[in-house]
Amino acid sequence: MADLALTSGTAMPREGVAARQTRGFGTILVAWMLMLPAIVTYVLMILLPLVVVLALAFTDYEFGAPGFRFIGLDNFAEMLGDRTFGASIRNTLVYSLFVVPLSIGIALLLAVLIEAGARGRAFFRAVFFLPVVSLTVAMATAWQYLLHPSIGPLNAVLRDLGLGTPNWLGASEWVLVSLGFIGVWENVGFNLVLFLAGLTAIPRDLYAAAEIDGVRSGWSKFWLVTWPMLGPTLLFVLIITMTRAIRVFDTVQTLTQGGPNNASEVLLRTIYQEAFHYFRFGYSAAVTLVFLAIVLALMLVQTRLIDRRVHYG
Amino acid sequence: MAGIVVENVTKSFGDTKVLRGVSLSVADGEFVSLVGPSGCGKTTLMRIIAGLETVTSGEVSISARQVTRLRAADRDVAMVFQNYALYPHLTVRQNMAVPLVMRRLTTAERLPFAGKVLPSARAKLAQIRTDVTHAAELLAIDGLMERKPAQLSGGQRQRVALGRAIVRKPSAFLMDEPLSNLDAALRVTTRTEIVALHRRVGASTVYVTHDQSEAMTMSDRIAVMMQGELLQVATPEEIYANPVDLRVARFIGSPAINQISANVTSSGVVEVQGQPVGLVSPARGPVVLTIRPEDLTLGSQGLAGTVEHVEFLGESVLLHARLGGGELVIARVAPSDRAHLGIGRPVALALRLDRAMLFATSNERLACAPTDDVAAAPVNREAVNG
Amino acid sequence: MAEPNATRSLTADLPRLALLGLAAFIALAPYLWMISVSMKPQSEVFAASLDLIPNELALIENYGKVLERVPVGTYILNGLIVCFGILVFQILFAVPAAYALAKLNFPGRDIVFGFVMLGLLVPYQTTALPLYIGFATTGLLDTYTALIAPFVCSVFAIFLFRQFFRALPDDLINAARIDGMGEFSIVWRVILPNAWPAATAFAIFSVVAHWNDLFWPLVVVQKGDLYTPAMGILAFRSVEAGEDYGALMAAALLVTAPLVIAFLFAQRRFIEGITMTGLKG
Repeated sequence: MADLALTSGTAMPREGVAARQTRGFGTILVAWMLMLPAIVTYVLMILLPLVVVLALAFTDYEFGAPGFRFIGLDNFAEMLGDRTFGASIRNTLVYSLFVVPLSIGIALLLAVLIEAGARGRAFFRAVFFLPVVSLTVAMATAWQYLLHPSIGPLNAVLRDLGLGTPNWLGASEWVLVSLGFIGVWENVGFNLVLFLAGLTAIPRDLYAAAEIDGVRSGWSKFWLVTWPMLGPTLLFVLIITMTRAIRVFDTVQTLTQGGPNNASEVLLRTIYQEAFHYFRFGYSAAVTLVFLAIVLALMLVQTRLIDRRVHYG
Repeated sequence: MAGIVVENVTKSFGDTKVLRGVSLSVADGEFVSLVGPSGCGKTTLMRIIAGLETVTSGEVSISARQVTRLRAADRDVAMVFQNYALYPHLTVRQNMAVPLVMRRLTTAERLPFAGKVLPSARAKLAQIRTDVTHAAELLAIDGLMERKPAQLSGGQRQRVALGRAIVRKPSAFLMDEPLSNLDAALRVTTRTEIVALHRRVGASTVYVTHDQSEAMTMSDRIAVMMQGELLQVATPEEIYANPVDLRVARFIGSPAINQISANVTSSGVVEVQGQPVGLVSPARGPVVLTIRPEDLTLGSQGLAGTVEHVEFLGESVLLHARLGGGELVIARVAPSDRAHLGIGRPVALALRLDRAMLFATSNERLACAPTDDVAAAPVNREAVNG
Repeated sequence: MAEPNATRSLTADLPRLALLGLAAFIALAPYLWMISVSMKPQSEVFAASLDLIPNELALIENYGKVLERVPVGTYILNGLIVCFGILVFQILFAVPAAYALAKLNFPGRDIVFGFVMLGLLVPYQTTALPLYIGFATTGLLDTYTALIAPFVCSVFAIFLFRQFFRALPDDLINAARIDGMGEFSIVWRVILPNAWPAATAFAIFSVVAHWNDLFWPLVVVQKGDLYTPAMGILAFRSVEAGEDYGALMAAALLVTAPLVIAFLFAQRRFIEGITMTGLKG
């Protein structure tokens, strides 16, 4: 998306060549015909629901109820005093602050390590990528076993070492860390392949030039060449990981159901619970808007920041 | 005193031998072009001199210092890359300062803000600034110092890359096809500028190119490389007039040298299509006779052929003629001769015998000399008339 | 990073390999124990030993229980139907639209593209409530339609294909027009065959995303015979298995396997696909 602003501006005149020759009513009709299925489904499945959710947020609509009324900002006012919602926002934030830096940092480190030698490249890349194609619900179950307080291998090791054996997914002080750890495990592979693509795109001659210019250590080369050249990839990965972290749902729903005592309640689960458990569609729609606002804010930061700071064009 | 000496260097990538025992000596301050078709190993040789590639065997020394096992960073060489390899996130000034900062500042002095805190760093940075400005003025890029590479034209980037190379006064200067990304007109003017720059800087220079005309116009000497071997190292004039190998003769010169299959009889007479051409040679059997286009003249006698194509170049005309044996030759003739050169007309092309050369079919140069009596004899008149 | 490193000796490479190996072990740990536990009898699981290799094989017990109690085959089939149903419509709808946006000039094009960009910004979870109401009122809950329909218009596919089509030379299309092709046959006979890399990349991205999705099936599906793999595991956990980790791991392994095996066979394509579509998570 970072490239979008650049390309959409520059390519306009060029594509006119093919277009100009076929302009006229016929082309216009053909163009709309080609787009028709997409437009119809877009309106039905995206645009209309979006408008409805915007409207719902200002109503007290409950699914199954005969009617509803507009209640202005009442839903949003209710959020301020809603302890579950408060926990949900806080937990989503903490989870993201845990997952984002760790999964990016670890992915970058592993990508650089993989690129640094010839041995095992394909193997390690495949291993770290495996979680991306694995069924999250199933893998969450495997983690549940690994982290099981009494029969899990992790606590077996800790017990042998004479350390404490926390109830990783059952204690409110550990549950977010545990979910965060699984989140890092899930996201590293995805970020890693993006970093690897970014690393291979760096011209080899820049490293050669750095060497000629007297740069000796790998550390200095990283800061002179790799880091700045990886800039666009890095900010891109940052935004993607953030939106992925904010949308955490599968692991929470599978492993903790938001518990214990809301200690792992997150935004998407709140939306789901309020709507499909309590049938409070109006309130759930309002939470949805908060969720959407956060995602849009991140996108805005991206377009503002990336295009200005990281593109050297 | 040799600037750069390469002794018997070989390089293999796996089973592929890229360099097969190359030796080259570049005198102090000399400009040597390394020229050859792509894939001949010239870039590998340059990267070995730079220290970006290790040798399989052999030695490299720069300014009488053994550098074979030294890293590029420790060799005191500068290099201009084909695509310039400028750091895209740094300004022109910062790009040019990198080699100086890396060499003159200690690790501590390179830390961010050290320049503001450490007096030693501040002094060095001031000196670097002066040096960079000086080099920029030399290249007339001092107006671009705060721009980033993406905001520069190809020619400007090329100058910045040159600037980054000359700023620290290296003992060896390496250029890897530095003009290949410029458009044709800019390439010609930049040639002259690089030569002028080399005269001012005076460092031993190795210049890699696949373009023989670049090598011819710029160099003190040319090293022609093919299939991992240096075939000939000599001045442009020598390479052009006196190639030791048929491959060198073919590679140098535009249009390419004419090659005519010939035969040396048991009495040593060189014959084309069974007719003596006025040369004798100690060799025997089938050979290749070569002659530059400008050494073929239109006359009433000589090699018989028919006009196939005529190219008008302004100061001269290139005449493409098909010989009796089916070979195509090109002669550079005066524009005034153009009138008689209708397509399909028979012509006779006379050789300047002192310029003709003989090569074995295995490419080595063979001796030959004009025979006085043959030149006078009307050997080919019948062929022309018939 | 520099080239000489690529050929360094094994001993010099050891620290790198050790670090990567450690990370790889952590990445693989859930898989290793998933396989191991799926073969262990319950008694061994509860002994909390660290042994990966079971003393006693309980393959038949665990896998038998899963296959007997859970229609794993149905889940996988549902997953396939949903993923391919979604993919076919996505390509069918997105390719012509993307072609029109990339190569035809018509009034309103920029506005349409603006809507595509808007769609890119909106996570699908945002529209879940109205869609649910829609499917509920039309009686389409608990149908394949409800599982597939919300995703048939992929703005991301339109965006991706448009970017790709723009890079195709105009002359290719002009040549096809001169050869007498209409715009519709150009789309399917000239553009799509040339868009194969983008289409493969998008297909992988789409299948991975929908195979793994839990949120939407959870919203619209109640009936067990429409469960997708993710739903199936979730239901098996809460209803049947409880703390029976042997059977649970066996079930998890069975539903994870198809995509993982596909990945192992076509790693390069998968990784390229995800990198190329990395724009959206």
